[in-house]
Amino acid sequence: MARMNENGQWIVMLGFIISIILVFLALIVNQSALIGKTTSESVLEFPKSEIQDLRAEIMDYKWRNDLNNPNILPDLQNLSLERKGSVIDYQLPTGGIIFIHYNDGFTEYNEYSWIGD
Amino acid sequence: MVTDEGQLYTIEGIAAAFMIVVTAYLVISTTSVLTQQDVHIIDLQMQQLGNDALGMMDCPDTYGVGSQSVLEEAISETNPELFNQTFLGLVNSPRNFAGSGSDRLNYSAVIYYRNPSGTIEHVPFGGGTYYRENSVKVSRWVFLPKKSSSLPLLPNLTNSVNRSVLLEVQLWRE
Repeated sequence: MARMNENGQWIVMLGFIISIILVFLALIVNQSALIGKTTSESVLEFPKSEIQDLRAEIMDYKWRNDLNNPNILPDLQNLSLERKGSVIDYQLPTGGIIFIHYNDGFTEYNEYSWIGD
Repeated sequence: MVTDEGQLYTIEGIAAAFMIVVTAYLVISTTSVLTQQDVHIIDLQMQQLGNDALGMMDCPDTYGVGSQSVLEEAISETNPELFNQTFLGLVNSPRNFAGSGSDRLNYSAVIYYRNPSGTIEHVPFGGGTYYRENSVKVSRWVFLPKKSSSLPLLPNLTNSVNRSVLLEVQLWRE
């Protein structure tokens, strides 16, 4: 091998470097795909619209000055437990502040919000 | 005559080809994760779309205590057809569908409510027949203001006071 041609070693070196860079780029693509997946999963899991809907429903009673209606809590609680498997609670406003509780086993949410007198 | 000049170029060529193939394999195999992500994103978009449509239908058109939302009107006047047209019109609107034409979402709705003895009753509220498509479920509390006459759609519901019923909509793309 005395006559072996030693030219072009830089080309081999650059080939190595480029392919290693490509592997890292592939890893980044892989990670970004997983990020999209976990993001959409966590958005699906968080009961944002359920909580907003619960508050809106209570505010419907507030709007009609009917927060003392004895049917509100059993209606919301029983249907929610039966159909969604989530425990909800609310307490009548004291000093204009209402308490809303929501728990579906994954997310526990408590809220004190001022709804006016 | 065969000479052994240029052997390093041959070795380089083989090594480069090997590395290119491995890299291409890695790239293709990692991007195929996208199919799983797709399923979740479609679910997410469908759920959001359904919630938004129900939210719009839960808003009265005019201001005031006496004004009815579409949901309230459809339920208290036993009009699943009104719900059908409004809901499908909203979710299948060409404006929220990428591409030409309109989307082809369908739904199946059930109303759940509590009767005087405290048990849950349910009535179907229109929609298509669901077989085995990938579906999501969205729900909305519907506020039914008190009325002197009972609602024909919801037997055993005491509606002489304000009540809440739960509307559940199963949504899928056909």
